[in-house]
Amino acid sequence: MSKKNKITFSLITLLLLGGLYIYFEFCNYTDIDIDKVSTEIKTSSKNLTASFIRNEKNANSIYKDKIIEVEGVVKEVTFLNKRNTVILYGNNKNSGVLCDMQSNQIMEIKKLVKGQNIVLKGVCKGFLKDAILLNCMLINQQSNE
Amino acid sequence: MNRIIILLSLLINFMDSDNRSDQVITRQGQVSFFSYTSVENIEAKNNQVLSIVDFSKNEIAISMLMNAFVFKKSLMHEHFNESYIESDLYPKATFQGSIIDFDPLAEGIQTKMVKGTLTIRDITKEVEIKTSIENIDGTYLITGDFEVIVKDFEIKIPPILAPNIAKNISIKFRFEYQPYEK
Repeated sequence: MSKKNKITFSLITLLLLGGLYIYFEFCNYTDIDIDKVSTEIKTSSKNLTASFIRNEKNANSIYKDKIIEVEGVVKEVTFLNKRNTVILYGNNKNSGVLCDMQSNQIMEIKKLVKGQNIVLKGVCKGFLKDAILLNCMLINQQSNE
Repeated sequence: MNRIIILLSLLINFMDSDNRSDQVITRQGQVSFFSYTSVENIEAKNNQVLSIVDFSKNEIAISMLMNAFVFKKSLMHEHFNESYIESDLYPKATFQGSIIDFDPLAEGIQTKMVKGTLTIRDITKEVEIKTSIENIDGTYLITGDFEVIVKDFEIKIPPILAPNIAKNISIKFRFEYQPYEK
């Protein structure tokens, strides 16, 4: 290998390593922008909770880690732990859909009222007492008034 | 007249205590973990942790989805779920225990030990955690921290990544409870 080639090879290696470092250090963030990914499943909050209560394993195989669009009625909006969370009524009193909203949704969330019918989109993570959706965004708003 | 007033107030108190739920719940408890090494620091938070406390027995139960931990970097999230925790096989971590010598009626902060079992990846270990419990007009805030040993839960870390992950992981938790109306 000539001296010139050696220098070129070293430079390319350095650039590649630098690029990898920048990617892993700065670009590799968990937060996905839900607006840029397409919906895989559409359902209602009642159907979603009902299917998890009926058979959690089966519901996980359908919904877990999928981008889902959920239509439902607002039960509560909370700002606990510095998170913006919208809770939708489920098919019974004790279970609902817990939606952790993307930070860019704050203005829209503040306008929501209990009993309002909404549709939102997020990544389904599974079920505890509620179905849990992360990275959520509102995709339309229908006032009941 | 005075007797009637006393009787009425006793009755009201009794009805009130009868209606009062012995259980409190949070669906949005927060659990964070930290791994500090000289190579890198790894931190993740789960804000959707479920916990119920039954004050009639001073029992506490906690359940969380392992794939709901949010990391700063997606690669960390991927390694955590796919290689270390294997969250497809073991989706939940749970804790069941008792709060020792706790008086739920006392207002203010009490520091108590919580003894119980922690289950991660279907492996159950006995743990004892010092916790701070604050009672503010019947709503309770439980906070604390403890450490788990990675080896205890048979988490396999490839030798090449071993310097990046601490042998003991610090866990912090914060649960703000509301009365549980069934």
